[in-house]
Amino acid sequence: MEGTTSLRIQQAVRRGPPVTLSVNGEAMVAYAGETVATALRLLGFRRLRSSPRAGQPRGLFCAMGVCQECVVRVDGRTVPACLEPVRDGMSVVTHVDGRDGLSL
Amino acid sequence: MPDFDVAVVGGGIMGCATALQLAQHGMRVVVIERRRLGMEASGMNAGTLSLQIKRAALVPYALRGYELWKTMAARFGMDVGFHVRGGLTIAFTETEAEVLVERMGERRAAGVPLEIVSPARALEIEPGLSHRLVLASHCALDGYANSNLTGAAFRKALLRAGATVREGEAVSAIDRDGGTFVIRAGEAVSRAARVVLAGGAWLDRLVGFLGFNLPLHCRVNMVSVTERCPPIVRAMVGHALGLLTLKQSDNGTVLIGGGWQGTGDRDGDRATEVIPENLLGNMQLAVYAVPALVHTRLVRTWHGFEAHVPDFLPLAGALPGIDNAFVIGCVRGGYTIGPYMGQLLGDLILGRRPGLPLFDPGRYIHRPMVALTAP
Repeated sequence: MEGTTSLRIQQAVRRGPPVTLSVNGEAMVAYAGETVATALRLLGFRRLRSSPRAGQPRGLFCAMGVCQECVVRVDGRTVPACLEPVRDGMSVVTHVDGRDGLSL
Repeated sequence: MPDFDVAVVGGGIMGCATALQLAQHGMRVVVIERRRLGMEASGMNAGTLSLQIKRAALVPYALRGYELWKTMAARFGMDVGFHVRGGLTIAFTETEAEVLVERMGERRAAGVPLEIVSPARALEIEPGLSHRLVLASHCALDGYANSNLTGAAFRKALLRAGATVREGEAVSAIDRDGGTFVIRAGEAVSRAARVVLAGGAWLDRLVGFLGFNLPLHCRVNMVSVTERCPPIVRAMVGHALGLLTLKQSDNGTVLIGGGWQGTGDRDGDRATEVIPENLLGNMQLAVYAVPALVHTRLVRTWHGFEAHVPDFLPLAGALPGIDNAFVIGCVRGGYTIGPYMGQLLGDLILGRRPGLPLFDPGRYIHRPMVALTAP
């Protein structure tokens, strides 16, 4: 896993306060104002799910809520990560799958 | 001199199938459709070709319709998305199980190859089902087609058979000029020796052009489709009380129906609206039946207008008291039987012996009563 800040711009950016997420059960830090997709990308998660039939890698693509490729489960709800702001204490599960409702 | 031997008004599955039978036997046929072929109930339904959900009286027709669906791709030269998956109709309570046993007994007696199966056997056939089921019926022949493709497939077959297809203009008048029917739709005037009225949920409007009344009941049936998901259910799933149809297509989407109602006005702009409680009820039952759907998201819900007459049987035959005018349509579950019903009516018009009895439209279609005044 990459560092939590290595991909973020360090200079001249006013960032919200840090929040702690649980990502697949592991505590990680993001900043208020970021989307789940942004946080996951900066935390090094590129592959967020697999395509339903072929099992090919899927992740952040359109970044505007249309393509559904970055869908994750947030606090039990299936949502596009790119539309969901991070919140302190939020639980994020990647690689959700309609078969069993659990992470693979 | 008429330009056509037959004009079929209404390009749903019933009208198209009739027109096809006529064109394939040498008649000059025109199909006149307000929108595009197969866009209303024929294209909006859930595509279920399930024999075990057919009422006993229609089973002989459904068996023959099913055979026509099975061979349609080969006959039409176009895939119609026909799949055989086997179907399970499930009961969750003892009361539902009683209904299931009674209805399925009638349908089996009428010729549907189905069996009543225990929960253990049902789960063996379809592991994706809820363990809460108490009884099920299974028919290995149950299948579905992609109703989106219906219109395009019939258009191709009709054109290949030499029929004329006039789409995009609503019929504004049907007049009689001697023995010829004159049908106006937009700028087009079609003159035909015979007319077949196949207006589906708007059939009463069409028979009205010829001075008849038809008491039509129109439903606003809801169908929903989920996002693509991995294979979660292979069989087609139904509910003992008829409140659910569910199937997962090859692309991973799950199509959910069951005749839950929306609202909408079949006239005017034909806009429909979801009744939220009904959508929730439909989805809750789907998730109850196939628990793995619980996290699957709904992508789209739509409605189609489906008409029926009080006895829920088709209308297929001659209009009473007027030569060379025929009616077909108006039945719940017309998608499965449609291809065969059209063939039957076609045979009647062609002077061939129909393979099964038709359904006299005269039982509901009448000329309006004229008030008698004292001389």
